[in-house]
Amino acid sequence: MNYPVWELYYLNSGTLVAIIAVIHVFISHIAVGGGLFLWLTDLKSVRESNTALRQYVRKHIWFFLLLTMVFGGVSGVGIWFAIALSSPWATSILIHTFVFAWAIEWVFFFVEIVSLLIYHYKFEVLSDKDRLKISFIYALSAWLSLFVINGIITFMLTPGDWLKTGNFWDGFFNPTSIPGLFFRTSICIMFAGLFGFVTAIFEKDEKIRQELLRYCAKWLYIPLPFLIVSGAWYFLSIPENARITNFILNKQTANAVNIFIIATVLLYFLAIFLVFKTSPKIQKVAVFTLILIGLSWIGSFEYLREYARKPYIIYGYMYSSSVLVNDEERLNREGLLKNSKWTSIKDITEENKLIAGREIFNLQCLSCHTIKGVKNDIVEKTEGLTRLGIISQLYGLGKVRDYMPKFIGNEREREVLADFITSLHAKKEEKIAEFYPKEEKIEIPPFNSKTDQYILLAWSTLGEKCITDSDRWFSFLYPGSTFQAIVIKRGKKPEILSEGIEIQYEVQKGYENPSKHSDFWKYAEALQGKKIAENLGLTGKGLKGVFDYDKGKNIFQAEGVPVLPYRDDGVFNPYPIFEVKAVEKATGKVLQTTKLVAPVSTELRCFECHGGKPKWNGISGISDQTAINILKLHDRNNGTRLLESALKGKPQMCQKCHEDFIVKSEGIKGHNSFSASMHGWHANYIPWKDERACNFCHPNDAKGNTRCNRDIHAKLGIGCTQCHGRLDEHASSILLSQQGTRKAKLLLRNLKPETPLNEINARKPWIQQPDCLNCHSGFNRPIKNAKAFNKWTTDVADLYRNRKDSTGKIPCTACHSSPHATYPSFNDYGKNRDNIQPLQYQGIPLPISSNMKCDVCHLVKMQGNYHHANMFRNFRNKKYLLQ
Amino acid sequence: MKTLDLIPYSEPIPASAELFIFLEQLFFLIHILIINSILGLSLIIFYQWNRRRDFFEINKPFVKKIPILFAFGINMAIPALLFLQVIFGNFFYTSSILMGTYWIFIIPFLIIAYYSSYFQYKRFGISNSSKLALIVMISMIFYISFMFVNNLSMMEMPESWTSYFSKREGTIILWNIPTIYPRFLHFLIASVAVGGIVYSFYFRKISEDQLKEGLKIFAYATIIQIAVGFWFLLSLPQSIMIKYMGRDLVATVIFLAGVITAFIMVFTAFKGSLKGSIVFLLLTMVFMIINRYHLRIFHLGENFNLSHLKLLPQWDLFVIFTIIFLLGVTIILYMLKIGFFPQKGDIKE
Repeated sequence: MNYPVWELYYLNSGTLVAIIAVIHVFISHIAVGGGLFLWLTDLKSVRESNTALRQYVRKHIWFFLLLTMVFGGVSGVGIWFAIALSSPWATSILIHTFVFAWAIEWVFFFVEIVSLLIYHYKFEVLSDKDRLKISFIYALSAWLSLFVINGIITFMLTPGDWLKTGNFWDGFFNPTSIPGLFFRTSICIMFAGLFGFVTAIFEKDEKIRQELLRYCAKWLYIPLPFLIVSGAWYFLSIPENARITNFILNKQTANAVNIFIIATVLLYFLAIFLVFKTSPKIQKVAVFTLILIGLSWIGSFEYLREYARKPYIIYGYMYSSSVLVNDEERLNREGLLKNSKWTSIKDITEENKLIAGREIFNLQCLSCHTIKGVKNDIVEKTEGLTRLGIISQLYGLGKVRDYMPKFIGNEREREVLADFITSLHAKKEEKIAEFYPKEEKIEIPPFNSKTDQYILLAWSTLGEKCITDSDRWFSFLYPGSTFQAIVIKRGKKPEILSEGIEIQYEVQKGYENPSKHSDFWKYAEALQGKKIAENLGLTGKGLKGVFDYDKGKNIFQAEGVPVLPYRDDGVFNPYPIFEVKAVEKATGKVLQTTKLVAPVSTELRCFECHGGKPKWNGISGISDQTAINILKLHDRNNGTRLLESALKGKPQMCQKCHEDFIVKSEGIKGHNSFSASMHGWHANYIPWKDERACNFCHPNDAKGNTRCNRDIHAKLGIGCTQCHGRLDEHASSILLSQQGTRKAKLLLRNLKPETPLNEINARKPWIQQPDCLNCHSGFNRPIKNAKAFNKWTTDVADLYRNRKDSTGKIPCTACHSSPHATYPSFNDYGKNRDNIQPLQYQGIPLPISSNMKCDVCHLVKMQGNYHHANMFRNFRNKKYLLQ
Repeated sequence: MKTLDLIPYSEPIPASAELFIFLEQLFFLIHILIINSILGLSLIIFYQWNRRRDFFEINKPFVKKIPILFAFGINMAIPALLFLQVIFGNFFYTSSILMGTYWIFIIPFLIIAYYSSYFQYKRFGISNSSKLALIVMISMIFYISFMFVNNLSMMEMPESWTSYFSKREGTIILWNIPTIYPRFLHFLIASVAVGGIVYSFYFRKISEDQLKEGLKIFAYATIIQIAVGFWFLLSLPQSIMIKYMGRDLVATVIFLAGVITAFIMVFTAFKGSLKGSIVFLLLTMVFMIINRYHLRIFHLGENFNLSHLKLLPQWDLFVIFTIIFLLGVTIILYMLKIGFFPQKGDIKE
């Protein structure tokens, strides 16, 4: 923001720095180690009066001079040039803070040059004593330049107390300067041996050559223990956060780590070839291979060191995007462009938004990212993300995986940057056709209050059973709705029947063949570990069948009915109807018939961010494209191979690793639960914190195909967040239940819940939920602005869907129906689609026995709040029934 | 876009500005003398190629020394650039970025030039590829020096920076600024003159003819240089030009002193006085370097003010640097002594 940006989109300046730096660092380490090598080898030749060894030194100096003084020296200046072009502000800070250190380093360089030139040009003229003096001066001055440079380079990674004091010495003698110096010195010695080979293999005398090669191999092997110890010391001296985020979270460093390890092993194994007698040809090939391996070795090390420093260029002081940490808050508030010197746009308009986006890209992204270029191509990195996905990505930058700097700027700037990046994509975003639910009439089953002796109440345990429907790629929610039912024999003292009866169910026409619409059955073996016959659920239930009697719960239950929202005639309706009959077993007599709605949705709006379009007729479900995009991201961020596995026909259940109570999976220890992962991760990325955020994954978008939150609460304007908390609150409450796992901490640290974190109560997903009585205290009318958030049920038995009335016999859901769809419900697929049973038994869509209609079950006049407090009264929100 | 708004913020400086300005100029003087020598000698060698029978014999010592001069030329550029960046860093980095693509090519071209000098030395008198290496080397130096002229000029002219908004890929060259051409030429001709004097200096005890020949090259080049210098002066914006012509007393005095010493050295050269020529050359160069600094300040005008630089002193480090510098120089002198003037007992048998 302080300097202009060198606008190289293909080969960005950062890559250029990396290329020059790796070459220079390789040679400069050789230069330093070589100084010691030449001096000690020359000394050995003098002590042993070994002419051959002296001749070797003579030849080696020439090669050494050409390599280190010319190429090494100039490429060093090259780094300086390149960093000033890439990160001028940081360069300026380094120059101004360390100008005298640089100047001192130059003095050593000057001495190095003079000594090396004299050593080379006067080799034959000088006496042994003087020659050794000169070579010692060279060795010492070369090492001293390393000493100085090392202080500055390590300062960038660990500026230590300099951040507080601004004092030169605090910066120079920083936490990694000494371990860094030891480590680099070991590298120098190792490389001296490596390059000693080059001159040695050209020795014609075989015996001498072999001796020289063995001698050089010693230089390679002796520093190894020091290299390992100082390397570990160095690694442990870098900030813990840098270690975690860059070596564990950032899977892109894995390649460099692998190269580093492989190169180390190869380097030391291949060198053995040179110790033993082999043909000169093999030796030559081995030496030049070793040089290339050495280059990869130092390249991967420097890459890792650079990555360890991310997201900073000067750790804790300046981000790699050349923004000062101290300016971050102000720039977020005031905007980046307004405060940038070198931008053509200060105020963003609809017309200039792409240019503004480009300016922001140049200022914040270009130092590391290219556009369709050689490294970190932004188009490739954002492939599979929509504009909204990119906005979210920018919002979440640097939060969980903080090797990238956070986006700095205001909301509008974030949007126009996303606009610019989106404009670079060849594939334009697909427009998703708007969906209009089709109202369908429901025939309410008959009920004669005078003659009918039985009441059959049946419901779905969930207000909306959700299904991933991307089984070819992954799954976290498979088909399998659960229904419950009770049969009440009406009377003075109504009786709940449990024996001698059977409850049958059958789905409405068109929904009988879910396997025609879903891949679940095709991939069940991979996902569930067993083959499942088509159109049956995990428990063996089909679309037509019989309820089981659950003696523990004293309730009839049909678990795992694999109903889908897709109908054979191409209609999407997430509220299929089941006909349910209570039949006397002995006689086959139908005691009562009713209908229940089985809310089931595949509306996961992943495509909003992850691209693609809804799978089933463009209406619902996760398409192949969306799923692939998601897997790619998961693989990239977590080092998994889920896409590869899916392509091999083995898609995975997410809960195989991530514990999830609702699918009875224990996951893998150390991984966050599925809910904690999903909420925690996405809360860090989604910029919105209200219902808009919930609706990306939960099927309640006002223009979506399900609109699941459909009861009186929704009508009263009560959305998800009033009970579950806003996104960050919700995610925090779940993450807090993860017993402080490392990943939970990482996901938590950048969330900004409106309720302070230390006041948020942890809750276990699916086990603990906000309770109705949080607001309806004592079953009374809630106070104004009541919130259910942050007070959780204690366990599963306490959940609304599992609780019973005061008698302990009637489940709450029997009279009030499923959560989020309690009577009266207002379903866009037909006003009373969710209210069938109240309409059947009492002619009004209110909870069973509401408005004192006790006669649904009781054949005598009742008084008092028998089932729960405050029940014996009229329904409060009548006006909504008329709408 | 106001020029002032574009100038990046500067960082606090760790010692007084005058100190860094002095150090920059001092090392620049040494640097430019070496680079002038390299280019001047190379041009003389190129000119003499195949024109005389004793060509290889005469020029071999120069060809041998050019790579060494390269080492020192580059080495001396480092402190000059370093100290320049302390005071003018925010200007210099900006102009470097504006011509970044051309600027970064200096590095590979310098490596090529440097290796060419070694190649030329190794093949000199053996193969014609040596001449090719010389041509490559000269071309590379032309490129590098022109880019330096362009960068330093652009650094001094923030009003030219707005071109960035229509050309951002680092390819801005000030083709339309008239002073660029004489400024570059001023460097070229100076190189020939310095080359001449180095040539002459080398032969001072070896050959009177060559000594005179060198001085002749020096004298004629200086005459041309004076003319180019006036062209340079006239090409400057009038407001700046008149500062050298009386409007600014110090600048005028230094300028006139430089012109006078230049004329004197032409005279001494024609008279065959090497010593006099060297003394007046050095004086002229000192004056010209001060002129060059004045020109920078005049160009920058109200865009730069030394007093605006914040001082955060690191005097302890300055002392350490001075001690290490003196130690370094002592060690170098010691090495030169044992390298070039070995004691009797030390001479190897």
